[in-house]
Amino acid sequence: MATNINTNVRSAYAPNWNEKVNKVVRRTVPTLVAVIIVLAIWQLLCSGPDATLPGPLQVLEDTWDPLIIDPFFQGEGTDQGLFWQIAASLKRVAMGYALAAVVGISLGVLIGVSTLMFDALDPIFQVLRTVPPLAWLPISLAAMRDSQPAAIFVIFITAIWPIIINTGVGVQNIPQDYNNVAKVLQLSKIQYFTNVLLPATVPYIFTGLKIAIGLSWLAIVAAEMLTGGVGIGFFIWDAYNSGNISEVILAILYVGLVGLLLDKLISFIATLVVPNEMS
Amino acid sequence: MTAFVVVDHVDQAFRLPNGQSYVALKNINLEIQKGEFVSLLGHSGCGKSTLLNIIAGLAKPVAGGVLLEGRQVTQPGPDRMVVFQNYSLLPWLTVRQNIALAVNKVMRHLPAAERHDIVEQHIDMVKLRHAADKRPGQLSGGMKQRVSIARALSIRPKLLLLDEPFGALDALTRSGLQDQLMQIAQTHELTCVMVTHDVDEALLLSDRIVMLTNGPESYVGQIIDVPFARPRERLNVVNHPNYYALRSEIVYFLNQQKQAKQRKVKQTVAIARNGLEKINLEIGFVPLTDCAPLAVAQEKGLFQKHGLEQVTLSREPSWKAIVEGITSKRLDAAQMVAGMPLALTLGLEGNAPTPIVTGMVLSRNGNAITLSRSLYEAGVRSLADLKGALVNHPHQTHTLGVVHPASMQNLMLRYWLAAADLDPDRDLNLAIIPPPQMVATLKSGNIDGFCAGEPWNSYAVNEKAGYVIATDLDLWMGHPEKMLGIREEWANQYPETHLALVKALLEACEYCDDRRNREEIAELLAKPDYVGAQLDYIRAGFLDPYDRGDGNPPELLLRFNQFHVDMANCPSRVEGLWILTQLARWGITAFPRNWVDVIDRVNRMEVYRAAAQALDLPDTEPNRSSFALFDGTVFNPDDPIAYLNGLPIKREIRVEEVNIDQPAVVVAA
Repeated sequence: MATNINTNVRSAYAPNWNEKVNKVVRRTVPTLVAVIIVLAIWQLLCSGPDATLPGPLQVLEDTWDPLIIDPFFQGEGTDQGLFWQIAASLKRVAMGYALAAVVGISLGVLIGVSTLMFDALDPIFQVLRTVPPLAWLPISLAAMRDSQPAAIFVIFITAIWPIIINTGVGVQNIPQDYNNVAKVLQLSKIQYFTNVLLPATVPYIFTGLKIAIGLSWLAIVAAEMLTGGVGIGFFIWDAYNSGNISEVILAILYVGLVGLLLDKLISFIATLVVPNEMS
Repeated sequence: MTAFVVVDHVDQAFRLPNGQSYVALKNINLEIQKGEFVSLLGHSGCGKSTLLNIIAGLAKPVAGGVLLEGRQVTQPGPDRMVVFQNYSLLPWLTVRQNIALAVNKVMRHLPAAERHDIVEQHIDMVKLRHAADKRPGQLSGGMKQRVSIARALSIRPKLLLLDEPFGALDALTRSGLQDQLMQIAQTHELTCVMVTHDVDEALLLSDRIVMLTNGPESYVGQIIDVPFARPRERLNVVNHPNYYALRSEIVYFLNQQKQAKQRKVKQTVAIARNGLEKINLEIGFVPLTDCAPLAVAQEKGLFQKHGLEQVTLSREPSWKAIVEGITSKRLDAAQMVAGMPLALTLGLEGNAPTPIVTGMVLSRNGNAITLSRSLYEAGVRSLADLKGALVNHPHQTHTLGVVHPASMQNLMLRYWLAAADLDPDRDLNLAIIPPPQMVATLKSGNIDGFCAGEPWNSYAVNEKAGYVIATDLDLWMGHPEKMLGIREEWANQYPETHLALVKALLEACEYCDDRRNREEIAELLAKPDYVGAQLDYIRAGFLDPYDRGDGNPPELLLRFNQFHVDMANCPSRVEGLWILTQLARWGITAFPRNWVDVIDRVNRMEVYRAAAQALDLPDTEPNRSSFALFDGTVFNPDDPIAYLNGLPIKREIRVEEVNIDQPAVVVAA
């Protein structure tokens, strides 16, 4: 009895490794079971002689060599390992997204602090943000005359709207108390921006950034299918054209995993930047 | 010299979504001296925070303005730092950074080291050294408010504005912070304006309490000076003899505002019927044994009998409430202490004169002077003993409670004390306390005795909190005690109604003085609608032998409550004159040189006579002759000024011609 109480007390104050491993196991086991069931159903559905798509075992067999075991393979032209394909896509996303973040936050602050600007620009933003990412592609191709910047522009234009809108809302929602403090202390515009406006808006900005990264990743795959070159999007299109459905499926899996990682990355950065006791 | 802060005729209005505008503040005038602590008190939504924001410069008034040291406030600034209710700390900055942000901005002309010292010094001042590097999210509400106060004080504001600073805190934290704020304010001689809705907080901290009426169009309803000496200690303040009187005055104001709000909903319209101009009356009374005639007239259907079909008796908490009810026209008529009609007509406590008429006396006698148990144990058995006790303890202030400045309790207690060469203002302290609160105040030790009507004396005796040293039979047998009071304008507007009311109450008084009915009446009075006290206490004196609680056997006092016999109901003019002399003697009102005129206007003999004749009751007025109270000093109604001059103990007496405006004669419809 006494020992039991002791362990309980210790675990309550400093969870030991046992606890942590237990927790991880408890959470991963159901996931694993679900994955196995899904794979089993898939295998079952695709095991008939008339199946149009390969089952998971077939996919594994077709793509094991060289795609899975050698992601860093470097060949001619677009014949690259999956790592390089994904890296090329990520590079485009990074550029478009970074641009969108800078411009989006600036515009968001602008429409947040100025009612005039809000009235002027918000309707435009509301119309443009509903345009599907790929609809921008022909225009950007026409304007840039090159597929690389055109793809980046699509990422930019896709990612910017949630950033603008969330930043704007964040600025408008700065608690009146903080503004009153700033007024009573007669803070200058710059002091107000750095000490009050920006810290108060950070949580909203990150909400926008998180939505934007998801959209960017969605857009890049589609954009690359049309623009070609190295990139996971074109890889999928290329594989389809050469009838290699197993490669398509493997690439889709990778796209999903990378999207998840990107989302987690932004959330992680948010936890570092946003004061966790906003109250 | 102009005041430090002047709030000059400020109006504030807000536009409503429906296009109309809501006037929150109307004509607010307020002057605040340097070093003064002023509280703004009022119900939620009365505009007190709006006023604070205007002083802070966070809001602009639609009319009027605020001056700080003679310069108009046009925008918010660090010289008027605000402590907000919700702390308003920046959550991404630590305690130190929050304070430093203010100091670095406002005191940027100082060297960095000096600014650093100021920040550290203020962290220590609010005792937050251990939490200096924590963020607000890690602090409790009380600690956050301390940071907010430290931030406000660190920039040395000329004026500190506090918007319900402790409203969101639990009671224990609140009282700790109040003490801390009080100390800081005292050491730094801060000028503060605090918005609060906590009466005790306001009393503890303020020099003046500004009470706002309910919106819309809130204005300064009353300003109360808080006389407690500084430096203050919470316990000293709470135990101060005036504490409960002040507190009840404030609570009363707030209650009135609440009722006013409800009243705005139901508007009364005069209903004329039965040949009377108005049969729906609201009559105020104070829960005392001698409200018996009103209770009887209501319960025995005497109001109905005389055509007053819808009479509501309104149980009022204090005599002050009666005054307010009559002057604000909320009440049609009221039971009044005998000095009240004359005092209100002349203008009480600096208020504008409100002409009041009285058609009858409702009761005579019925009071007693109760002293605390400790005075009994000190051997005080008579007035002479009391004087001895006071002389032997000159360092100790003795406080006695009375119910209203214009009450017979006040006038007769003063007369009684003065007869023993005791100056009621210099040798002791008299405090105004509503009758129902008398015993509680005596028990708490805040007063050493009181003069009040029954059942409160018997209650004190039964609770072993005090003993009766004298009844008014010992002082002035048969003095007028309660009168029916009505605004003169009302009496002119509804003459038939007035007559019917006096008739109904005369009949009720006759009923009350038939001792066969007393048993029934005592039970009636014990109900919560009326006095709401234990039956035994009401029976004492009214029906049963009167127990003074001084060890002597209870004594049957037949005239202790006199309602009708011996011309009791006649509003005698000679008695009115004596009351005028006493009101003047103690500086409550001036003595009117035209006293004959004033008394004729207040004591309406013609109404009394008409009512008595209609009921076949004797209508004679007692002879106009000299009389004397217990001490033998003769009062000659032909020469009141000589009588006044002959009194040894008195205040400075003002004799003036009092012009009461001729009221507009309203022709009854």
